[in-house]
Amino acid sequence: MAVTVYIPAPFRRLTNNRSYVEGHGQTVAELLDDLKARYPALGDMLQGEGGDLPSHISIYVNNQEIHSLQGEATPLKDGDEVAVIPVIAGGQDLTSEQMLRYSRQIMIPDVGVAGQRKLLDARVLVVGAGGLGSPAAVYLAAAGVGTLGIVDSDELDLSNLQRQILHHTPDVGRPKVESAQETIARYNPDVRVIPYRERLDAANALEIVGQYDVVVGAVDNFDTRYLLNDASYLAGKPYVDGGVFLFEGQVTVFIPGQGCYRCLFPAPPPAEVVPKPSQVGLLGTLPGVIGVIEAFEALKLILGLGESLAGRLLIFDALAMEFRQVRTRRDPQCPLCGDAPTIRELGEYKALSSSPLAGRDEG
Amino acid sequence: MAMLAIEQRYIDEMIAHARQEAPLECCGVLGGRDGRVLKLFRATNAERSRYRYNIDSQELFRINRECEENGWQFLGIYHSHPDSEAYPSPTDVGLAFWPESLYFIVSLRDAGNPEVRAFRIRDGEITEEEIEIVRR
Repeated sequence: MAVTVYIPAPFRRLTNNRSYVEGHGQTVAELLDDLKARYPALGDMLQGEGGDLPSHISIYVNNQEIHSLQGEATPLKDGDEVAVIPVIAGGQDLTSEQMLRYSRQIMIPDVGVAGQRKLLDARVLVVGAGGLGSPAAVYLAAAGVGTLGIVDSDELDLSNLQRQILHHTPDVGRPKVESAQETIARYNPDVRVIPYRERLDAANALEIVGQYDVVVGAVDNFDTRYLLNDASYLAGKPYVDGGVFLFEGQVTVFIPGQGCYRCLFPAPPPAEVVPKPSQVGLLGTLPGVIGVIEAFEALKLILGLGESLAGRLLIFDALAMEFRQVRTRRDPQCPLCGDAPTIRELGEYKALSSSPLAGRDEG
Repeated sequence: MAMLAIEQRYIDEMIAHARQEAPLECCGVLGGRDGRVLKLFRATNAERSRYRYNIDSQELFRINRECEENGWQFLGIYHSHPDSEAYPSPTDVGLAFWPESLYFIVSLRDAGNPEVRAFRIRDGEITEEEIEIVRR
């Protein structure tokens, strides 16, 4: 097959200043071999490490980039027009201040500068700026997660300060998202906080969740937990779930397709058996532990490190100071992520109870 | 080589684009002829990153074809450094495959005072170039 190959300005010195050259081959791969044979200097540009086409060269067949066709196996026919164009690419590096700020994690071989860039590029949604959300957001911000969405409709109460370390005494009465934003800015100016001073509901959840890479649930009621579970699944986002009650905490991760909160707890307990969160005592260190584990799981997901808690429910008994885990799995009967799902959009969550049971903090 | 001539509105447009995309990097191409910029092409950063830009390959093809049809060259290639100085990073140098084009970098490090500088990057060598701001 004889095709015409377009040569852009930067490569013309390699083709005797010709803008178009003829080439032959049944496929793009064969054409590349033909070009390498006839224009060795151009061939050098078209051959990366291991002989593959380097990622900085784009090849087009009849105006279409070949990754949207069949890659190098894309067939050619007589008269096709092929173009070989180098990418226009680059990008800033971490500043010397960032290299120093994050040095202790950059020196982890599986993190490195590339991992730090992933963190700075990452977007994590923390739902709840209370006992769980505070430690989670503080550690995510300190690690340099570049964009943190924080959802909370409440104002800070004096009784929150016993555990909600995103806020300080002078903040009492202020919207929590405001004080959270200020605290995070003082911890790390690299982090952009997007505050949502509103309740997550069926009308806004998908739109908000859809803008993030990972969702961290740090909520105090069943309504929001089921809503977040459903929204994260429908939006295809991993959902890190945590909760606390008395001296016990629970954490797990739901990856879409590998089980969800509804597989684990098909229905919330009846509202009448569920005490109000503000009537259940707890030490602030408990949501501290669980919130930090949630942050850790979010960081692992972003960095692709280790094994996530997906498929495992981690249960923390603070009095015994013991961690146990139970295996969890996707339920084929699950109305959300099962084989014949009945939940295809966000519905009504008001009928569900509000509770600290099954692990949750009081916001 | 003669100094590149560019109207202030294109400089302003690059800064506006950088601000619009921040904290992500923006990118685009300045097409023109005889050392005179005639059109600014905003492009999509396929990486959607604060630390990488890569002009969407299909857009690059279209921009290249429009320039070829008009007899224009890629006089300039621009991108932003949302957090760092207006100077080519090692990544910028390593991926500089257009030696005939001037690489413009918009720095937003000082948010109130964006800086635009232009460099020739050839065989790994960085040379800052003066540009001439001209009237329309």
